[in-house]
Amino acid sequence: MHYTNEQIAALVKEDKVHRDVYTDPEIFKIEMDRIWGRSWIYVGHESQVKNPGDYFATSIGTQNVIMTRHTDGLVHVLFNRCSHKGAQLIGDACGHAKQMRCPYHGYIFDTAGTLIHIPQEEGYAGSPYGKGKDESNIKRVARVDSYRGLVFASLSASGPDLRTWLGGAALSIDNMADRSPQGELEIAGGCFRYVHDSNWKMFVENLNDAMHPMVVHQSSAGTAKRVFDDLGMEQDKVPFELEMLSPFASDYEFFEKMGLTAWDNGHSVTGGKVSIHSAYSPIPGYAEALIDAYGEEKTKDILSINRHNTVVYPSFTLKGVITSIRVVKPIAVNKTVIESWVFRQVGAPEELFQRSITYCNLVNSHANLVGPDDQEAYHRMQYGLETKDDNEWVSQHRYLGADEINEDGEKTSTGTSDMVFRHQFETWKAYMTKEEAA
Amino acid sequence: MSAVAENTAAMQQPDVKDLEQFLFHEARLLDEARWQDWNDLFVENGEYWVPASHKQPDPKNHVSLIYETDLLRAVRIKRFKHPNAFSLKPAPRSSHMLSNVMLDEYDAEKNECVVSSRFLMLQYRREEQDVFGGGYTHHLKIEDEGFKIIKKRVDLINCDAPLGNILVYF
Repeated sequence: MHYTNEQIAALVKEDKVHRDVYTDPEIFKIEMDRIWGRSWIYVGHESQVKNPGDYFATSIGTQNVIMTRHTDGLVHVLFNRCSHKGAQLIGDACGHAKQMRCPYHGYIFDTAGTLIHIPQEEGYAGSPYGKGKDESNIKRVARVDSYRGLVFASLSASGPDLRTWLGGAALSIDNMADRSPQGELEIAGGCFRYVHDSNWKMFVENLNDAMHPMVVHQSSAGTAKRVFDDLGMEQDKVPFELEMLSPFASDYEFFEKMGLTAWDNGHSVTGGKVSIHSAYSPIPGYAEALIDAYGEEKTKDILSINRHNTVVYPSFTLKGVITSIRVVKPIAVNKTVIESWVFRQVGAPEELFQRSITYCNLVNSHANLVGPDDQEAYHRMQYGLETKDDNEWVSQHRYLGADEINEDGEKTSTGTSDMVFRHQFETWKAYMTKEEAA
Repeated sequence: MSAVAENTAAMQQPDVKDLEQFLFHEARLLDEARWQDWNDLFVENGEYWVPASHKQPDPKNHVSLIYETDLLRAVRIKRFKHPNAFSLKPAPRSSHMLSNVMLDEYDAEKNECVVSSRFLMLQYRREEQDVFGGGYTHHLKIEDEGFKIIKKRVDLINCDAPLGNILVYF
């Protein structure tokens, strides 16, 4: 069906959303235009294009783009399409090229997208197409900016600047970067691309859903603890794998106390000073390296922040303590790829990076002990919502009316509140009902 | 370790037929979901590793689809029977087929060998079937009563592709 703004607005109520937001392909198309086409979207990290000529091919919503580092040192985000007949210009995931040569007719562009060579150029004499003519260059996305090395792009020329848009979510990025003694992160150790047969919003919501871990992850977290006891391993030498898995089965009280905080533009976080990552053993030499770099007081501040999952709506989630991000790639209304990337904290002991690698193996891999059960929940929700019974609505009633605004102007609630879901859909509705980009 | 060709005189060098039988037996244990019997094929703290990138050099500095020793294998195996492991209900089924078995290395002093093979595995769960394929590298301890797995490395040809759930061991 074709949706009017009134019809879209009617899909989101104060305490519930219509099931079609997860299942209607038409809604998905509008989301790609009005949310993914307007918001700031995470593209990649500057460390992936360290040197001039480095490129990284990725996507913004369903649009294929290339992030490049040009000879002037600047990072550009270009549409991955030759200006001639539209062939995909870069065909692999990443690499290095002084120039980008289209594999079809051999037209050549520099890494800023400027057309620099056409074979048999005389054929364009007197034509509007050709070198030095702007429409013949590779199109750049409307806006590119970065924050602490994380590169964002927006397909819309207007809208808030990146820093303003990030709001309180910026602190999560700051804390992740500050955990490096040099304040510097670099992508390392590969990536998982995990296919989910469910709508992208289900993953984004689940990252701040504190009502599910003790149910969905009982079989992995509870089992890990029992196996550790059964194997008779030394109790004072708890392996990181166990430290990591056990808190997933923490009780409701623990998750209530973690709390929820939300900021404008759909961003939110679970935890603040306490999270499921709080009780990890210290890595030898790490605190010392931070103290050398920042002094005792600032080190204490950095390590006192223990946010669980930060959602930077709509395109990624991050874990500061694990220094990893999960990037959301919507493919279709019922298909989403979640990319997991790990950052090395430059200047920190290698063991810290290796711990993050272990964490990602255990929680983000296709074969991990936690994620398939989340995916089963999304699958069942996607399947269940395709059932067109009389109940058209998905409930978001939990702790309705109990949200608070703190002294910093942040919206807060107890950990298991549906506040973040209501908050995400308030943002969703605002993007979706604006005909033109703001 | 020295190359196999230089060791043709060594009496204890395992017969490829025996190695094949061991690998077929291992595959059968997996297909019959006899997880504990399969786990018993490993030496203490034996490694099971499925890299996430082509020619991945090590499991410590790069993510892996699976990297497990005793603790994590025991957790995964116990989870297969957990009533609330929702992604395993209904239980996944598998069919492992392997061929091209070759003895690559043999160390007479340590009584260890390295065996390579190619495999195909079908994974089935709830109306969906996936096909996985690639290479196995088994690093084995040769004991009087048979072989034990020191390390098993599984190189999927599509290890770095977008993939859905992997629910059983390769």
